[in-house]
Amino acid sequence: MRSARCSPNHVRMNQLQGKIALITGASKGLGRAIALAFAREGAALALCARGEPALQAVASECRLLGVEVLAVPADIANPADRERLVSLTLARFGAVDVLVNNASTLGPTPLPLLVDTDPQAFEDVVRVNLTAPFLISRSLVGAMLLRGSGVVINVSSDAAVNGYPGWGGYSAAKAGLDGLTRVWAAELAGSGVTVVSVDPGDMDTEMHRAALPDDDPTALALPEYVAPAFVRLAAGGALPARLEARELLEQVAR
Amino acid sequence: MIAVETDFPQLPPALRASQPAERRGIRRDQVKLLVIDRKAEAVHHARFDRLGDMLSPGDLLVVNTSRVLPAGVRAVRASGQAIQLRPCVRRAGSWDALCVQPGPPFENIALAEGETLRIGEAVVTVAGRRTDIPLLWRLRLETADDLELILRHGEPIRYSYVPEPLPLDSYQTVYASHPGSAEAPSAGRPFSWELLAALRGRGVGLADVVLHTGLSSFQDDAFDAEHHLFEEWFEVSPETARAVNMAERVVAVGTTVVRALESAATWEGRVVPGRNWTRLSVGPERPPRAVDALITGLHEPQASHFDLLRAFVPEALLRRAYAEAVERGYLWHEFGDSALII
Repeated sequence: MRSARCSPNHVRMNQLQGKIALITGASKGLGRAIALAFAREGAALALCARGEPALQAVASECRLLGVEVLAVPADIANPADRERLVSLTLARFGAVDVLVNNASTLGPTPLPLLVDTDPQAFEDVVRVNLTAPFLISRSLVGAMLLRGSGVVINVSSDAAVNGYPGWGGYSAAKAGLDGLTRVWAAELAGSGVTVVSVDPGDMDTEMHRAALPDDDPTALALPEYVAPAFVRLAAGGALPARLEARELLEQVAR
Repeated sequence: MIAVETDFPQLPPALRASQPAERRGIRRDQVKLLVIDRKAEAVHHARFDRLGDMLSPGDLLVVNTSRVLPAGVRAVRASGQAIQLRPCVRRAGSWDALCVQPGPPFENIALAEGETLRIGEAVVTVAGRRTDIPLLWRLRLETADDLELILRHGEPIRYSYVPEPLPLDSYQTVYASHPGSAEAPSAGRPFSWELLAALRGRGVGLADVVLHTGLSSFQDDAFDAEHHLFEEWFEVSPETARAVNMAERVVAVGTTVVRALESAATWEGRVVPGRNWTRLSVGPERPPRAVDALITGLHEPQASHFDLLRAFVPEALLRRAYAEAVERGYLWHEFGDSALII
């Protein structure tokens, strides 16, 4: 039986051979796991994160798997950085088949109650978790529409649908991201471009430890366990606008 | 070189669009559309989002997917003087670039052969001037990755009728996907995806080419009036060539698309796929062979743009259309209104 701590066996299937994926927040946690999973499946990668050393380390790991990688140190909250990310990616690869809007921020930790939340911190969380994914998608969806294909995966959270004390800005932004996904999906139906929100579930990541320092990390799934769900999503096909990684993993295991 | 006649009425400065439609309270696809109907020798006035009324199933719209770069690049001379470099022709490791003041009125600044400039940490050496266009400096770059330099140190190229710097996004078309233009291929700017989808729904085809634009002005009126030609990079895919060759009517979105398709056209008007530099000048002496109709922005008659329009429209009709556009307050330049020559 497979425990939540184990990662599934990775048999390279080249499911993403010939595809180009842009992953934000790729230096650690889920973003890193998705990058490695995509690399194992043969996708060329554009990776971004704020911290350059960690980003370059992930890029090197992916290159060892035999794929072409562009690493762009960038803060997606910054408009010039976003343009640099999009333009360098398009200049290198000519197109983006899969966009994973994974980068997100909790804001200050320990997580404050809404009534104690600094207004600027709230705005910063919304900018990174909601506005930036919208703007990066907007920059790339036009080209996807022209080619009649593309997948945009927005990384959501159960905080988007539940009200946990302390998760105010994050929760509101993720709920907004789900709303954005539903509208994208409705507007792009039949265009060949798919937009989905996926809730990866609780994972043992740096972000989870910062948010919930008292949780037992050994009881949590590793991001590597969840990443195959993203491979399934990246491969395309008809999908509902919002889903949980858990459901996909069940499909993948079948 | 052909000097353009300049007996047109002067364009009132108020008609130079200083900001994009969205900032003037209308959608990008709600700009005015001047329709020049060559068969009827008539001029109509419409709105861009009604373009579908003028097109038919079987028509093929060809757009330029080049993405505009922030090609006004901040640089510093050894003396500490701040300058702006505007790369017009980019090749691996070298630029042919204009050197201007870093702010309005962006007048030319003369460099010295052999002097070194800095863009951030990168060192650039002035190798000389271009012999055909002496306002362009031949610059040697020590880095292979000039795109990173431009994206880190550039801002959109701006002319003095645009009083405030605007975000680069204001200049992009909704389908911009191949970074490389110094200035916006602005004829396609009024298209929204809503309009493109509606046109596709009516049976109008959509194909794309890439042509990376150089500079539209050398910041010297007398020099600009002499029509200096320079090379631009274009790409026409096999899919686009096939679509163009099969289309009943090919509608180029912008003069950049005309240049790309005509550069790829054989003498009998068949388009063959290819990618290359082009120095082609389409005008009355070299009329279009592959392109049948044109959507274009409105630019001043003195601009070299006008010579290309004369390849499509008899000059008398063109003058009448321009006069009506001025009379009716059409806005000009990259953020202005639009024209359809059909």
